[in-house]
Amino acid sequence: MTFLQLDNIKKTFGELSVIKGVNISASKGEFVVFVGPSGCGKSTLLRMIAGLEDVSSGTLSIDGKEVTYEEPAKREVSMVFQSYALYPHMSVFENMAFGLRMAKLPEDEIKRRVGEAARILQIEPLLERKPRALSGGQRQRVAIGRSIVRNPKIFLFDEPLSNLDAELRSQMRVEIAKLHRNLGATMVYVTHDQVEAMTLADRIVVLRAGLVEQIGSPTELYDHPANTFVAGFIGSPKMNFLTAKVTGADSTSLQLSHPAFEGGTLSLAHPAAGKAKAGDTLTVGLRPEHLDVAAATPRLRLTADFAENLGGSTQIYARTGAETVIILANGRPDLTPGAAMTAGIDPRHIYLFTPDGLAL
Amino acid sequence: MTRTTSGPNIRPNRGYGRWTPFWFLAPAVFTLFIIGIYPTIFALVTSFRRYNIARPRDGFPFVGLENYTSVLTDGTFWASLFLTAKFYITVLPVEIVLGLVIALLLHKTGMGFLKSLARVTLVVPLATTYAVVGLIGRLIFNRDFGVANWFLDALGVGGLDWLGSQAGAFAAIVIMDIWQWTPFCALIFLAGLSMVPGEIEEAARLETSSKWSLLKHVQLPYLMPGLTALLILRSADVLKLFDMVFVMTRGGPGSATDLVSVYIQRVGFRVFDLGTASAQAILLLVITILLSRLYIRVLYKEVN
Repeated sequence: MTFLQLDNIKKTFGELSVIKGVNISASKGEFVVFVGPSGCGKSTLLRMIAGLEDVSSGTLSIDGKEVTYEEPAKREVSMVFQSYALYPHMSVFENMAFGLRMAKLPEDEIKRRVGEAARILQIEPLLERKPRALSGGQRQRVAIGRSIVRNPKIFLFDEPLSNLDAELRSQMRVEIAKLHRNLGATMVYVTHDQVEAMTLADRIVVLRAGLVEQIGSPTELYDHPANTFVAGFIGSPKMNFLTAKVTGADSTSLQLSHPAFEGGTLSLAHPAAGKAKAGDTLTVGLRPEHLDVAAATPRLRLTADFAENLGGSTQIYARTGAETVIILANGRPDLTPGAAMTAGIDPRHIYLFTPDGLAL
Repeated sequence: MTRTTSGPNIRPNRGYGRWTPFWFLAPAVFTLFIIGIYPTIFALVTSFRRYNIARPRDGFPFVGLENYTSVLTDGTFWASLFLTAKFYITVLPVEIVLGLVIALLLHKTGMGFLKSLARVTLVVPLATTYAVVGLIGRLIFNRDFGVANWFLDALGVGGLDWLGSQAGAFAAIVIMDIWQWTPFCALIFLAGLSMVPGEIEEAARLETSSKWSLLKHVQLPYLMPGLTALLILRSADVLKLFDMVFVMTRGGPGSATDLVSVYIQRVGFRVFDLGTASAQAILLLVITILLSRLYIRVLYKEVN
């Protein structure tokens, strides 16, 4: 059942169109992540769900009730802001209790709920402190605690981890995931970090320039990106793209030519092979982690250029003509700059895109 | 840099000498001394002397606290001080409330051009000299052709002899003070409101739809430093409010608008008893300082 529904939502600032018609639905208990480069409109979209930003056109409903023009406080959503937005003059307890006090809950119920949230988030010893006496991670917990106590219909997160250092970020990421599992609440989470998107989401919405590029589970997006944008955005390091010529195609397989291919050509079985014909140009997508420098059957011939030692693995930058191919290799392969090298790949991991960027 | 200056024989070429900062500060310090510090000291010294310039033959002998005892036992001084207090507690709540309402209206989003226009307009009364405000007041509250009476006529209420009646004259100076100082309050509050981080205001909007709660619990703490400054400035200002009232009513009719500064001026420059007038002025200074300390103690709190 649809719990959160965005129907042809648009947002314009004067002449400027920021959200150009977005349709998203989420069911109860789902963790939805909006991801995209900065300026893609993901935060604006989240703020529109919260009611902090007016909707220019379209309808928005939460739990079967249309709330497009409802006041923020009446939507029963809570939000964790990037800056945490704690009330600086109130103690941690007061910060968490504020919404409940405004809702005129009895004082013992407020105490019970705040105490419960503080226990879950392990911030009980901090309840009497002011926000300025807290570390970034602690503030983050208080901000989340303030959301929990209200028992909202939807939790909204606006890049909540971007102000934390790397270690704390991965720790809080796990905690947010656990929180979602334990509360079973519907959450909408905005980030530009694809790792957060992959690890947290039940479903990812990839946005670009105010439009949805693709919606799907993390695995779907990784395995079957709808276009080169999604393919490049999901996965780290970024997918490699090579421009190849089709030299022959039938309904089940096609032959591609590119100087980097072993022997200059590559023969590939592909379910949509019939859509291509000889003479077409296709973009070949290869994920760095799928390329294997020690493969028994090499498929690519490259020139080693540079290597970054990551400890357990090595990120190799290899050249073919003007194009660069990044390879993520296990261990520390012995490479000299300028030396010839080969890489193999399982043909099932080769992605094909038409020249306008869509998956073949 | 610290290494070059700590060396015994190396003199850093800073492009200025040891006395250069002094010369830059000198004009301001000198001016401040001439128009601020020296007169205050002079008044303090004078307040311990018999100093009636209408009777120079008596000389100006030190008389200890005589001036102070005579001021503190002077019924008229107390009456004018109470009138000033009455004036203060009449104008201030109105100015604060109106200023806050204007600030909240200007703080709302939208209508960009009109808002900047309104902000500029707010400065006009502030930029007007007290004496001119008094002159404008005389025109507005003129019995025969003043706009105040024209307005009352239009409402069907009979005209009032504003400046000729006790209550009318007091009301007139109250209205003119509110006209002049409400914009100042509005600007101070507007600055305070813009100090509230956007996300904090939004966080509160998600938790309450009541504008009043938002103001009371979230915005008000940010307004307190401004409010404290406002109270201090206004109390100092009302205690020395002279020009506007003098131009409009000269303290009259009777003693209806005889604020403490008007009274001190009369003692000093009509009776020429500068000793007493100085003692009165020093007492005002003390009151101002005490009030300021009180406001800071009770109200001032930085939001971090």
